[in-house]
Amino acid sequence: MRPIVEFAAVTRAYGARVALDDVHFELLPGELTFLVGPSGAGKTTLLKLINREIRPSSGRLWVAGMPAHQIKASRVAELRRRVGVVFQDYKLLPRLTARENVAFGLQVGDLRVSDEEARDRSLDALEAVGLGDRGDAYPHQLSGGQQQRVAVARAVVGQPQLLIADEPTGNLDQETAWQMMDLFEDIAAWGTAVLVATHNVEIVTRLQRRVLTLVQGRLVRDQPAGWTGRMAWLASS
Amino acid sequence: MAGVLVKGRFPRRRLIQAVATNLVRHLFGGAARSWARNIGSTAPAIGSMTLLLLMSGLVGLTGFALHNLEQVEAGQASLLHVYLRDDAKPPDVASLWRHLLSDARVAGVTYINKDQALERAQRIPGLPQLADATESNPFPASLDVQVKKIDDVAAIDALVRYDVAVDPVYPTSYDKGAYQRIQAVLFGTAVAGFALLGLLGFVAVTVTMNSIKAAIHARRDEITIMQLVGAPRWMVRGPFVVEGAITGAVAGVVAGLITFGLTFAGIAAASGAFTRFAPGVTVTVAAAAAAIVLLVGLGLGSGSSLISLRRHMET
Repeated sequence: MRPIVEFAAVTRAYGARVALDDVHFELLPGELTFLVGPSGAGKTTLLKLINREIRPSSGRLWVAGMPAHQIKASRVAELRRRVGVVFQDYKLLPRLTARENVAFGLQVGDLRVSDEEARDRSLDALEAVGLGDRGDAYPHQLSGGQQQRVAVARAVVGQPQLLIADEPTGNLDQETAWQMMDLFEDIAAWGTAVLVATHNVEIVTRLQRRVLTLVQGRLVRDQPAGWTGRMAWLASS
Repeated sequence: MAGVLVKGRFPRRRLIQAVATNLVRHLFGGAARSWARNIGSTAPAIGSMTLLLLMSGLVGLTGFALHNLEQVEAGQASLLHVYLRDDAKPPDVASLWRHLLSDARVAGVTYINKDQALERAQRIPGLPQLADATESNPFPASLDVQVKKIDDVAAIDALVRYDVAVDPVYPTSYDKGAYQRIQAVLFGTAVAGFALLGLLGFVAVTVTMNSIKAAIHARRDEITIMQLVGAPRWMVRGPFVVEGAITGAVAGVVAGLITFGLTFAGIAAASGAFTRFAPGVTVTVAAAAAAIVLLVGLGLGSGSSLISLRRHMET
């Protein structure tokens, strides 16, 4: 199976400060992986590299078959259409309804999608995240958890090969956070690679999925699924 | 029984319709809404660009009229009058005529007899009194030589002034300085016009760029989201270029209408004077000038937006 994401000796520096140092790993289709580490460890930098918001200082990085380390600016949009992104602050357009926000994500990526098709597919996506009845609501009329689910619907409506989420539960209560994780597990079950950067230890330990641990820019641990929890020390011993 | 997956074929017409609808919505619909929303910050750009385009239109029409005037004056200045002796023999005159016509620098030669010379003189201020003062006709017959290039008039003059058929006292006449004076005036006018337009252009482009910068700033969240969800670059930048083009088009329409209106009013009020001082400037030319002003407005508006986008929008 070909990896969706492949980091090979990737380093990213901001001036003299090294944010990511010689990182190697691969993500496979259908894999739900957590990215953990203290603040400033390089989690956001790693996600930004995948979405080609920044370039690596050195090393090679392949995302959904595209060489993100060397693609031209004119092809960045093409790469991003293969990656769904969920942000901690949702990044929904306030003047659009939930359905329009989801359809917007679909239609800016592909002009061939008609209004009718966009409406049907966005309603399907909202239905899938449990918001089928709130399609006409504007973001300010939705709770934080609902807004985050709209963001997930927007991220997956174009059927990307990879979904990345930066602290998606950071602004949510524990119950809503678990609902969000159920959603990510469902998405991964359909073959999409899902990479979630989080500080939520309880979720990471209880879900028993693959965990990448970053400390000071270095990937210090890559625990396979099932090797997390109280006995995780066995993996690194 | 296993199902058979049939890949649906989307009708081409509906596909084109969907692409066209999305294009219009993203490029023009969004730009028009944003332009209307930001009309307050766009107003100075419209004002300065209207002024620039109006001045451009009027300076352009003036330049066109001056160019035509120059052509008329050049034609008149390159006319050499070769005055014939009263006692010149017809074979000598005919020989001179043939000699002139065979010269490659000469466009044409016209014989003016004494009666025609008198008639012409009577149309020139001051000369009718001179004609009336004497009983005989004092004006000599002449050969009017139209020289192709004004620079060759002096050479032709030197060639003929000592011919046996030519009056030795007052052999030729042409206005040496007229053309040079017109060219000097034209050059000065052109320099002043371009300097003024350059200054106005700088102001208009700067103000338009700032209004687009304000529009980018007002929509930065939307731009970020569009970029992050994979909107192509033209879809993110296009609406701003259209917005600039709308600003330019509005300024162009206003300036074009004023340019056309002023010219039309001038022609209607004093067509004789207009024909004399602004030769070639007709209603059709004024309409063409207005159309050019509109096109320049469109180009200037969208060009300013492009420059502003390059400077102020991150990729």
